[in-house]
Amino acid sequence: MPKYAMVIDQRRCIGCLACIVACKRENHVPEEHYRTRVVEEIDGKAPKLRMELRSELCNHCDNPPCVYNCPTGASYKDKDGTVQINRKKCVGCKACIAACPYDARYINPEHGYADKCTFCQHRLKAGKEPACVATCIGKSRVFGDLDDPSSKVSKLLREYSSWVRLPEAGTHPRVFYIRKQSRPE
Amino acid sequence: MELTIYGTNALTYPHLHIWDWKIASYLFLGGLTGGALVMSAIANLRKKKTEPHDKACCVKVPLIAPFILLLGMFFIFLDVERKLNSFWFYLTFQPLSPMSWGAWGVGAVIPISFLYGLSTVPDELKHWLVFDFLKKWSKKLNPYMRRLAVINFIMGIFVGIYTGVLLSSFVARPLWNSALLPILFLNSALSTGAALVIIMARKNEVKLFFTKVDIWLILSEITLIALFFYGHYTSSASHRESIMPFFTLSNEFFPYWISILLLSIIFPLVIVLEFLEVKGEHSERLTGFEKFRMNLSALLVLVGGFIIRMALIYAGQLIKMTDKIATKF
Repeated sequence: MPKYAMVIDQRRCIGCLACIVACKRENHVPEEHYRTRVVEEIDGKAPKLRMELRSELCNHCDNPPCVYNCPTGASYKDKDGTVQINRKKCVGCKACIAACPYDARYINPEHGYADKCTFCQHRLKAGKEPACVATCIGKSRVFGDLDDPSSKVSKLLREYSSWVRLPEAGTHPRVFYIRKQSRPE
Repeated sequence: MELTIYGTNALTYPHLHIWDWKIASYLFLGGLTGGALVMSAIANLRKKKTEPHDKACCVKVPLIAPFILLLGMFFIFLDVERKLNSFWFYLTFQPLSPMSWGAWGVGAVIPISFLYGLSTVPDELKHWLVFDFLKKWSKKLNPYMRRLAVINFIMGIFVGIYTGVLLSSFVARPLWNSALLPILFLNSALSTGAALVIIMARKNEVKLFFTKVDIWLILSEITLIALFFYGHYTSSASHRESIMPFFTLSNEFFPYWISILLLSIIFPLVIVLEFLEVKGEHSERLTGFEKFRMNLSALLVLVGGFIIRMALIYAGQLIKMTDKIATKF
Protein backbone atom coordinates (compact mmCIF):
# COMPACT_ATOMS: atom_id res chain seq x y z
CA MET A 1 0.00 0.00 0.00
CA PRO A 2 1.31 3.45 -0.84
CA LYS A 3 1.85 6.06 1.83
CA TYR A 4 0.53 9.18 0.16
CA ALA A 5 1.81 12.63 1.02
CA MET A 6 1.90 16.09 -0.48
CA VAL A 7 4.77 18.53 -0.59
CA ILE A 8 3.99 22.19 -1.11
CA ASP A 9 7.03 23.99 -2.45
CA GLN A 10 6.35 27.57 -1.35
CA ARG A 11 9.18 28.84 -3.56
CA ARG A 12 7.17 27.92 -6.63
CA CYS A 13 3.72 29.15 -5.61
CA ILE A 14 2.60 32.31 -7.43
CA GLY A 15 -0.80 32.60 -5.75
CA CYS A 16 -2.80 32.04 -8.93
CA LEU A 17 -5.50 30.18 -6.95
CA ALA A 18 -5.93 27.62 -9.75
CA CYS A 19 -5.73 24.88 -7.09
CA ILE A 20 -8.84 26.26 -5.39
CA VAL A 21 -10.74 26.44 -8.67
CA ALA A 22 -9.66 22.94 -9.77
CA CYS A 23 -10.63 21.48 -6.40
CA LYS A 24 -14.06 23.08 -6.41
CA ARG A 25 -14.67 21.96 -9.99
CA GLU A 26 -13.43 18.41 -9.48
CA ASN A 27 -15.23 17.74 -6.20
CA HIS A 28 -18.37 19.81 -6.73
CA VAL A 29 -17.59 21.79 -3.58
CA PRO A 30 -20.67 23.87 -2.68
CA GLU A 31 -20.77 27.63 -3.05
CA GLU A 32 -18.93 29.57 -0.32
CA HIS A 33 -17.19 26.38 0.86
CA TYR A 34 -13.61 25.30 0.15
CA ARG A 35 -11.45 22.22 0.63
CA THR A 36 -8.25 24.12 0.05
CA ARG A 37 -7.23 27.76 0.52
CA VAL A 38 -4.25 30.00 -0.10
CA VAL A 39 -2.93 32.21 2.67
CA GLU A 40 -0.99 35.32 1.70
CA GLU A 41 0.97 36.63 4.67
CA ILE A 42 2.88 39.89 4.32
CA ASP A 43 5.34 40.70 7.06
CA GLY A 44 7.75 43.55 7.78
CA LYS A 45 7.68 47.32 7.22
CA ALA A 46 7.50 49.01 3.81
CA PRO A 47 9.59 49.06 1.72
CA LYS A 48 11.22 45.96 3.28
CA LEU A 49 8.37 43.51 3.00
CA ARG A 50 8.36 39.76 2.92
CA MET A 51 5.48 37.70 1.57
CA GLU A 52 4.71 34.09 2.25
CA LEU A 53 2.21 32.16 0.14
CA ARG A 54 0.90 29.07 1.84
CA SER A 55 -1.61 26.60 0.43
CA GLU A 56 -3.60 24.93 3.15
CA LEU A 57 -5.72 21.79 3.05
CA CYS A 58 -6.49 18.68 5.10
CA ASN A 59 -3.16 17.35 6.36
CA HIS A 60 -4.24 13.68 6.31
CA CYS A 61 -2.50 13.34 9.65
CA ASP A 62 -0.94 10.12 10.86
CA ASN A 63 -2.38 10.91 14.29
CA PRO A 64 -5.71 12.44 13.25
CA PRO A 65 -7.80 14.03 16.06
CA CYS A 66 -10.83 14.16 13.74
CA VAL A 67 -10.80 10.36 13.46
CA TYR A 68 -10.36 9.80 17.20
CA ASN A 69 -13.16 12.22 18.06
CA CYS A 70 -15.69 10.87 15.55
CA PRO A 71 -18.40 9.10 17.58
CA THR A 72 -19.70 6.97 14.73
CA GLY A 73 -16.52 5.93 12.91
CA ALA A 74 -17.56 8.00 9.87
CA SER A 75 -14.10 9.60 9.78
CA TYR A 76 -11.46 6.96 9.27
CA LYS A 77 -7.86 6.45 8.25
CA ASP A 78 -7.74 4.55 4.98
CA LYS A 79 -5.16 1.93 4.07
CA ASP A 80 -3.30 4.39 1.86
CA GLY A 81 -2.85 6.70 4.86
CA THR A 82 -5.40 9.29 3.75
CA VAL A 83 -8.16 10.43 6.09
CA GLN A 84 -11.58 9.82 4.56
CA ILE A 85 -15.25 10.27 5.51
CA ASN A 86 -17.96 7.65 5.16
CA ARG A 87 -20.84 9.98 4.40
CA LYS A 88 -23.51 7.41 5.23
CA LYS A 89 -22.29 7.15 8.82
CA CYS A 90 -21.86 10.88 9.42
CA VAL A 91 -24.49 12.35 11.76
CA GLY A 92 -23.23 15.94 11.45
CA CYS A 93 -22.32 16.31 15.13
CA LYS A 94 -19.38 18.55 14.14
CA ALA A 95 -16.97 17.00 16.65
CA CYS A 96 -14.44 16.45 13.84
CA ILE A 97 -14.63 20.12 12.85
CA ALA A 98 -13.91 21.18 16.44
CA ALA A 99 -11.11 18.62 16.70
CA CYS A 100 -9.25 19.65 13.52
CA PRO A 101 -6.43 22.11 14.32
CA TYR A 102 -6.21 23.04 10.63
CA ASP A 103 -9.85 24.06 10.12
CA ALA A 104 -9.92 21.80 7.11
CA ARG A 105 -13.53 20.66 7.41
CA TYR A 106 -16.94 22.10 6.75
CA ILE A 107 -20.54 20.91 6.76
CA ASN A 108 -22.04 20.28 3.36
CA PRO A 109 -24.97 22.73 3.42
CA GLU A 110 -27.17 20.55 1.22
CA HIS A 111 -26.67 17.13 2.79
CA GLY A 112 -25.43 17.95 6.31
CA TYR A 113 -22.38 15.67 6.39
CA ALA A 114 -18.87 16.80 7.24
CA ASP A 115 -16.67 17.19 4.20
CA LYS A 116 -13.04 17.95 3.38
CA CYS A 117 -10.13 17.24 1.02
CA THR A 118 -9.82 13.55 0.13
CA PHE A 119 -6.54 13.92 -1.79
CA CYS A 120 -8.95 13.27 -4.71
CA GLN A 121 -9.06 9.58 -3.83
CA HIS A 122 -11.30 8.85 -6.82
CA ARG A 123 -8.58 10.21 -9.12
CA LEU A 124 -5.83 8.30 -7.28
CA LYS A 125 -7.74 5.07 -7.86
CA ALA A 126 -7.81 5.93 -11.57
CA GLY A 127 -4.04 6.47 -11.53
CA LYS A 128 -4.25 10.26 -11.68
CA GLU A 129 -2.89 12.97 -9.41
CA PRO A 130 -5.18 15.12 -7.22
CA ALA A 131 -6.84 17.89 -9.23
CA CYS A 132 -4.96 20.69 -7.43
CA VAL A 133 -1.61 19.01 -8.16
CA ALA A 134 -2.45 18.36 -11.80
CA THR A 135 -3.47 21.98 -12.34
CA CYS A 136 -0.63 23.69 -10.45
CA ILE A 137 1.20 25.66 -13.13
CA GLY A 138 4.20 26.48 -10.97
CA LYS A 139 4.56 22.83 -9.89
CA SER A 140 4.35 24.02 -6.33
CA ARG A 141 2.12 21.14 -5.26
CA VAL A 142 3.80 17.76 -5.53
CA PHE A 143 2.10 14.49 -4.69
CA GLY A 144 3.42 10.99 -4.29
CA ASP A 145 4.24 7.93 -2.24
CA LEU A 146 6.51 8.41 0.76
CA ASP A 147 7.42 4.72 0.75
CA ASP A 148 8.79 5.01 -2.77
CA PRO A 149 12.30 6.51 -2.55
CA SER A 150 12.18 7.50 -6.22
CA SER A 151 8.92 9.47 -5.91
CA LYS A 152 9.03 13.24 -6.26
CA VAL A 153 7.88 13.82 -2.70
CA SER A 154 10.56 11.54 -1.26
CA LYS A 155 13.23 13.28 -3.31
CA LEU A 156 12.10 16.76 -2.30
CA LEU A 157 11.91 15.84 1.37
CA ARG A 158 15.42 14.34 1.18
CA GLU A 159 16.90 17.32 -0.62
CA TYR A 160 15.31 20.22 1.29
CA SER A 161 14.43 20.93 4.85
CA SER A 162 10.68 20.96 5.28
CA TRP A 163 8.17 21.97 7.91
CA VAL A 164 4.66 20.98 8.82
CA ARG A 165 1.79 23.06 10.19
CA LEU A 166 1.30 23.10 13.97
CA PRO A 167 3.76 20.35 14.89
CA GLU A 168 2.98 21.05 18.55
CA ALA A 169 -0.50 19.59 17.98
CA GLY A 170 1.15 16.18 17.63
CA THR A 171 -0.91 15.24 14.59
CA HIS A 172 2.02 14.19 12.31
CA PRO A 173 0.72 15.79 9.10
CA ARG A 174 1.26 14.28 5.65
CA VAL A 175 1.41 17.69 4.00
CA PHE A 176 4.92 19.12 4.04
CA TYR A 177 6.08 22.62 3.17
CA ILE A 178 9.35 23.83 1.71
CA ARG A 179 10.08 27.49 2.46
CA LYS A 180 11.72 30.00 0.17
CA GLN A 181 14.88 30.31 2.20
CA SER A 182 15.18 26.64 3.06
CA ARG A 183 17.72 25.58 0.43
CA PRO A 184 21.15 25.22 2.03
CA GLU A 185 23.60 27.91 0.82
CA MET B 1 1.40 41.79 9.36
CA GLU B 2 -1.19 41.66 6.62
CA LEU B 3 -3.11 38.45 6.12
CA THR B 4 -5.23 37.61 3.09
CA ILE B 5 -6.88 34.23 2.81
CA TYR B 6 -8.42 33.02 -0.42
CA GLY B 7 -10.94 30.23 0.10
CA THR B 8 -12.12 30.54 3.69
CA ASN B 9 -15.09 28.70 5.13
CA ALA B 10 -17.37 30.92 7.21
CA LEU B 11 -17.88 27.99 9.59
CA THR B 12 -14.27 28.04 10.73
CA TYR B 13 -12.92 31.48 9.89
CA PRO B 14 -12.21 33.82 11.61
CA HIS B 15 -13.25 31.46 14.36
CA LEU B 16 -15.26 28.31 14.86
CA HIS B 17 -19.03 28.70 14.62
CA ILE B 18 -20.22 25.18 15.16
CA TRP B 19 -21.68 24.87 18.65
CA ASP B 20 -24.11 27.39 20.11
CA TRP B 21 -26.67 27.76 22.91
CA LYS B 22 -28.14 24.33 22.14
CA ILE B 23 -24.91 22.57 23.08
CA ALA B 24 -24.36 24.89 26.06
CA SER B 25 -27.91 24.07 27.26
CA TYR B 26 -27.22 20.35 26.88
CA LEU B 27 -24.00 20.67 28.86
CA PHE B 28 -25.91 22.50 31.60
CA LEU B 29 -28.87 20.10 31.68
CA GLY B 30 -26.59 17.05 31.49
CA GLY B 31 -24.54 18.39 34.38
CA LEU B 32 -27.69 19.22 36.32
CA THR B 33 -28.97 15.66 35.85
CA GLY B 34 -25.64 14.17 36.90
CA GLY B 35 -25.51 16.35 40.00
CA ALA B 36 -29.17 15.64 40.82
CA LEU B 37 -28.58 11.88 40.62
CA VAL B 38 -25.50 12.09 42.85
CA MET B 39 -27.13 14.34 45.42
CA SER B 40 -30.40 12.40 45.55
CA ALA B 41 -28.41 9.18 45.94
CA ILE B 42 -26.51 10.75 48.84
CA ALA B 43 -29.77 11.91 50.43
CA ASN B 44 -31.37 8.49 50.15
CA LEU B 45 -28.32 6.47 51.16
CA ARG B 46 -27.77 8.61 54.27
CA LYS B 47 -31.09 7.40 55.73
CA LYS B 48 -30.78 4.49 58.12
CA LYS B 49 -32.17 1.16 56.94
CA THR B 50 -34.16 0.92 60.16
CA GLU B 51 -36.54 3.61 58.97
CA PRO B 52 -38.63 1.83 56.35
CA HIS B 53 -41.35 4.49 56.22
CA ASP B 54 -38.73 7.11 55.46
CA LYS B 55 -36.60 5.01 53.14
CA ALA B 56 -36.44 7.50 50.32
CA CYS B 57 -36.33 11.03 51.60
CA CYS B 58 -35.61 12.41 48.15
CA VAL B 59 -38.31 11.43 45.66
CA LYS B 60 -39.10 14.32 43.34
CA VAL B 61 -35.53 14.92 42.15
CA PRO B 62 -34.84 11.32 41.01
CA LEU B 63 -38.25 11.29 39.34
CA ILE B 64 -37.61 14.38 37.21
CA ALA B 65 -33.86 13.73 36.58
CA PRO B 66 -34.33 11.53 33.46
CA PHE B 67 -36.71 14.11 31.98
CA ILE B 68 -34.15 16.89 32.45
CA LEU B 69 -31.63 14.73 30.60
CA LEU B 70 -34.17 14.00 27.88
CA LEU B 71 -34.69 17.72 27.42
CA GLY B 72 -30.92 18.11 27.10
CA MET B 73 -30.82 15.34 24.50
CA PHE B 74 -33.56 17.13 22.60
CA PHE B 75 -31.22 20.13 22.27
CA ILE B 76 -28.48 17.81 20.99
CA PHE B 77 -30.95 16.41 18.50
CA LEU B 78 -31.71 19.94 17.32
CA ASP B 79 -28.00 20.58 16.84
CA VAL B 80 -26.97 17.54 14.78
CA GLU B 81 -27.10 18.21 11.06
CA ARG B 82 -28.38 14.79 9.98
CA LYS B 83 -31.08 13.97 12.49
CA LEU B 84 -32.27 10.84 10.75
CA ASN B 85 -28.74 9.41 10.94
CA SER B 86 -28.61 9.66 14.74
CA PHE B 87 -29.04 5.90 15.05
CA TRP B 88 -25.39 5.54 13.96
CA PHE B 89 -24.37 6.61 17.47
CA TYR B 90 -25.71 3.26 18.67
CA LEU B 91 -24.45 1.01 15.88
CA THR B 92 -20.83 1.48 16.85
CA PHE B 93 -18.64 2.18 19.83
CA GLN B 94 -15.54 4.31 19.35
CA PRO B 95 -13.33 3.86 22.45
CA LEU B 96 -11.25 6.99 21.76
CA SER B 97 -14.25 9.28 21.21
CA PRO B 98 -15.68 10.86 24.39
CA MET B 99 -18.83 11.65 22.38
CA SER B 100 -19.32 7.93 21.69
CA TRP B 101 -18.86 7.18 25.41
CA GLY B 102 -21.38 9.92 26.14
CA ALA B 103 -23.95 8.65 23.65
CA TRP B 104 -23.85 5.14 25.13
CA GLY B 105 -23.58 6.41 28.71
CA VAL B 106 -26.52 8.79 28.43
CA GLY B 107 -28.49 6.08 26.63
CA ALA B 108 -27.99 3.89 29.71
CA VAL B 109 -28.48 6.64 32.31
CA ILE B 110 -31.98 7.60 31.11
CA PRO B 111 -33.70 4.20 31.68
CA ILE B 112 -31.71 3.36 34.82
CA SER B 113 -32.38 6.76 36.42
CA PHE B 114 -36.04 6.31 35.51
CA LEU B 115 -36.08 2.98 37.37
CA TYR B 116 -34.29 4.67 40.29
CA GLY B 117 -36.95 7.39 40.32
CA LEU B 118 -39.70 4.77 40.46
CA SER B 119 -37.92 2.89 43.24
CA THR B 120 -37.92 5.97 45.47
CA VAL B 121 -41.70 6.52 45.38
CA PRO B 122 -43.18 5.40 48.72
CA ASP B 123 -46.67 3.87 48.99
CA GLU B 124 -48.31 7.11 50.17
CA LEU B 125 -47.07 8.93 47.06
CA LYS B 126 -47.87 6.22 44.53
CA HIS B 127 -50.79 8.35 43.30
CA TRP B 128 -48.17 10.61 41.64
CA LEU B 129 -47.64 7.83 39.10
CA VAL B 130 -50.24 8.24 36.41
CA PHE B 131 -50.31 4.73 34.96
CA ASP B 132 -51.05 1.51 36.82
CA PHE B 133 -48.07 -0.33 35.35
CA LEU B 134 -45.79 2.38 36.78
CA LYS B 135 -47.29 1.81 40.22
CA LYS B 136 -46.64 -1.94 39.87
CA TRP B 137 -43.06 -1.35 38.74
CA SER B 138 -42.53 1.10 41.56
CA LYS B 139 -43.73 -1.44 44.15
CA LYS B 140 -41.43 -4.09 42.70
CA LEU B 141 -38.47 -1.71 42.63
CA ASN B 142 -38.89 -0.27 46.15
CA PRO B 143 -36.69 -2.94 47.80
CA TYR B 144 -33.85 -2.20 45.32
CA MET B 145 -33.82 1.56 45.97
CA ARG B 146 -30.42 1.56 47.71
CA ARG B 147 -28.72 -0.50 45.02
CA LEU B 148 -30.18 1.70 42.31
CA ALA B 149 -29.06 4.77 44.27
CA VAL B 150 -25.45 3.49 44.27
CA ILE B 151 -25.59 2.81 40.51
CA ASN B 152 -27.08 6.25 39.87
CA PHE B 153 -24.44 7.89 42.04
CA ILE B 154 -21.74 6.44 39.76
CA MET B 155 -23.70 7.29 36.61
CA GLY B 156 -24.27 10.82 37.86
CA ILE B 157 -20.50 11.27 38.22
CA PHE B 158 -20.09 9.97 34.66
CA VAL B 159 -22.69 12.33 33.19
CA GLY B 160 -21.23 15.25 35.13
CA ILE B 161 -17.66 14.69 33.97
CA TYR B 162 -17.84 13.33 30.41
CA THR B 163 -18.88 16.60 28.74
CA GLY B 164 -15.77 18.23 30.20
CA VAL B 165 -13.63 15.32 28.99
CA LEU B 166 -15.17 15.73 25.53
CA LEU B 167 -14.27 19.42 25.28
CA SER B 168 -10.84 18.99 26.87
CA SER B 169 -9.87 16.39 24.25
CA PHE B 170 -9.79 19.03 21.48
CA VAL B 171 -6.14 19.96 21.17
CA ALA B 172 -7.13 22.48 18.48
CA ARG B 173 -9.16 24.61 20.93
CA PRO B 174 -6.80 25.88 23.63
CA LEU B 175 -9.47 27.17 26.02
CA TRP B 176 -11.09 23.73 26.26
CA ASN B 177 -7.83 21.80 26.13
CA SER B 178 -7.26 21.62 29.88
CA ALA B 179 -7.33 18.68 32.28
CA LEU B 180 -9.03 20.96 34.80
CA LEU B 181 -12.13 21.42 32.62
CA PRO B 182 -13.70 18.00 33.38
CA ILE B 183 -13.18 18.58 37.11
CA LEU B 184 -14.66 22.08 36.83
CA PHE B 185 -17.69 20.70 34.96
CA LEU B 186 -18.13 17.92 37.51
CA ASN B 187 -17.89 20.39 40.38
CA SER B 188 -20.40 22.68 38.69
CA ALA B 189 -22.69 19.69 38.01
CA LEU B 190 -22.62 18.68 41.68
CA SER B 191 -23.29 22.22 42.89
CA THR B 192 -26.25 22.67 40.51
CA GLY B 193 -27.54 19.21 41.52
CA ALA B 194 -27.39 20.21 45.18
CA ALA B 195 -29.17 23.48 44.32
CA LEU B 196 -31.96 21.54 42.61
CA VAL B 197 -32.38 19.34 45.70
CA ILE B 198 -32.49 22.47 47.91
CA ILE B 199 -35.23 23.99 45.74
CA MET B 200 -37.33 20.82 45.55
CA ALA B 201 -36.87 19.40 49.06
CA ARG B 202 -39.71 19.95 51.52
CA LYS B 203 -37.90 18.90 54.66
CA ASN B 204 -35.99 21.47 56.65
CA GLU B 205 -33.10 19.12 57.45
CA VAL B 206 -32.60 18.09 53.80
CA LYS B 207 -32.51 21.74 52.69
CA LEU B 208 -30.01 22.62 55.40
CA PHE B 209 -27.78 19.61 54.75
CA PHE B 210 -27.48 20.35 51.04
CA THR B 211 -26.97 24.04 51.74
CA LYS B 212 -23.90 23.06 53.77
CA VAL B 213 -22.75 20.77 50.94
CA ASP B 214 -23.28 23.57 48.40
CA ILE B 215 -21.13 26.04 50.33
CA TRP B 216 -18.13 23.72 50.00
CA LEU B 217 -18.92 22.97 46.37
CA ILE B 218 -19.12 26.67 45.50
CA LEU B 219 -15.86 27.36 47.33
CA SER B 220 -14.12 24.60 45.37
CA GLU B 221 -15.72 25.86 42.15
CA ILE B 222 -14.32 29.35 42.68
CA THR B 223 -10.89 27.81 43.35
CA LEU B 224 -11.14 25.65 40.22
CA ILE B 225 -12.16 28.61 38.02
CA ALA B 226 -9.22 30.62 39.34
CA LEU B 227 -6.82 27.71 38.77
CA PHE B 228 -8.28 27.13 35.29
CA PHE B 229 -7.46 30.69 34.24
CA TYR B 230 -4.10 30.63 36.01
CA GLY B 231 -3.20 27.38 34.23
CA HIS B 232 -4.04 28.91 30.85
CA TYR B 233 -2.20 32.13 31.62
CA THR B 234 1.01 30.28 32.45
CA SER B 235 0.69 27.84 29.53
CA SER B 236 1.44 28.26 25.80
CA ALA B 237 0.83 31.50 23.89
CA SER B 238 -2.40 30.19 22.35
CA HIS B 239 -3.66 29.06 25.77
CA ARG B 240 -2.95 32.49 27.21
CA GLU B 241 -4.62 34.18 24.25
CA SER B 242 -7.68 31.95 24.66
CA ILE B 243 -8.59 33.36 28.09
CA MET B 244 -8.09 36.99 27.10
CA PRO B 245 -11.73 37.52 25.98
CA PHE B 246 -12.69 37.13 29.64
CA PHE B 247 -10.33 39.89 30.72
CA THR B 248 -10.61 42.36 27.82
CA LEU B 249 -13.03 45.18 28.53
CA SER B 250 -14.26 45.90 25.03
CA ASN B 251 -17.53 45.77 23.13
CA GLU B 252 -16.28 42.83 21.11
CA PHE B 253 -15.82 40.66 24.18
CA PHE B 254 -18.77 41.96 26.19
CA PRO B 255 -20.44 38.53 26.75
CA TYR B 256 -17.20 37.08 28.14
CA TRP B 257 -16.07 39.73 30.59
CA ILE B 258 -19.64 40.28 31.75
CA SER B 259 -19.93 36.53 32.47
CA ILE B 260 -16.82 36.65 34.66
CA LEU B 261 -18.18 39.76 36.36
CA LEU B 262 -21.53 38.04 36.99
CA LEU B 263 -19.87 34.90 38.31
CA SER B 264 -17.70 36.94 40.63
CA ILE B 265 -20.88 38.48 42.03
CA ILE B 266 -23.12 35.40 42.02
CA PHE B 267 -20.85 32.87 43.71
CA PRO B 268 -19.73 35.03 46.66
CA LEU B 269 -23.36 36.15 47.10
CA VAL B 270 -24.45 32.50 47.19
CA ILE B 271 -21.82 31.71 49.81
CA VAL B 272 -22.97 34.60 51.99
CA LEU B 273 -26.66 33.67 51.62
CA GLU B 274 -26.03 30.01 52.31
CA PHE B 275 -23.72 30.76 55.20
CA LEU B 276 -26.44 32.89 56.78
CA GLU B 277 -28.91 30.02 56.40
CA VAL B 278 -26.59 27.51 58.00
CA LYS B 279 -25.68 29.87 60.86
CA GLY B 280 -29.25 30.96 61.48
CA GLU B 281 -31.48 29.17 63.95
CA HIS B 282 -34.38 27.54 62.20
CA SER B 283 -37.64 26.48 63.73
CA GLU B 284 -39.37 23.22 62.78
CA ARG B 285 -41.11 24.96 59.88
CA LEU B 286 -39.24 27.36 57.67
CA THR B 287 -40.56 30.90 57.49
CA GLY B 288 -41.40 32.38 54.11
CA PHE B 289 -38.30 34.59 54.16
CA GLU B 290 -36.01 31.69 55.06
CA LYS B 291 -37.45 29.63 52.22
CA PHE B 292 -37.09 32.54 49.82
CA ARG B 293 -33.44 33.04 50.82
CA MET B 294 -32.64 29.35 50.39
CA ASN B 295 -34.37 29.09 47.05
CA LEU B 296 -32.82 32.33 45.83
CA SER B 297 -29.29 31.18 46.63
CA ALA B 298 -29.99 27.81 44.96
CA LEU B 299 -31.44 29.56 41.91
CA LEU B 300 -28.33 31.73 41.69
CA VAL B 301 -26.20 28.56 41.68
CA LEU B 302 -28.22 27.27 38.72
CA VAL B 303 -27.77 30.59 36.89
CA GLY B 304 -24.02 30.47 37.62
CA GLY B 305 -23.78 26.93 36.24
CA PHE B 306 -25.55 27.98 33.05
CA ILE B 307 -23.32 31.05 32.62
CA ILE B 308 -20.18 28.88 32.95
CA ARG B 309 -21.34 26.52 30.18
CA MET B 310 -22.45 29.32 27.83
CA ALA B 311 -19.28 31.37 28.32
CA LEU B 312 -16.94 28.41 27.86
CA ILE B 313 -18.72 27.03 24.80
CA TYR B 314 -18.69 30.36 22.95
CA ALA B 315 -15.27 31.57 24.12
CA GLY B 316 -13.68 28.21 23.32
CA GLN B 317 -14.47 28.74 19.65
CA LEU B 318 -12.88 32.20 19.43
CA ILE B 319 -9.22 31.27 19.66
CA LYS B 320 -7.44 28.41 17.96
CA MET B 321 -3.88 27.18 17.62
CA THR B 322 -2.35 29.35 14.92
CA ASP B 323 0.46 29.06 12.42
CA LYS B 324 1.62 32.51 13.49
CA ILE B 325 3.14 30.90 16.57
CA ALA B 326 4.52 27.89 14.73
CA THR B 327 6.13 29.84 11.91
CA LYS B 328 7.89 32.31 14.19
CA PHE B 329 10.24 29.60 15.45
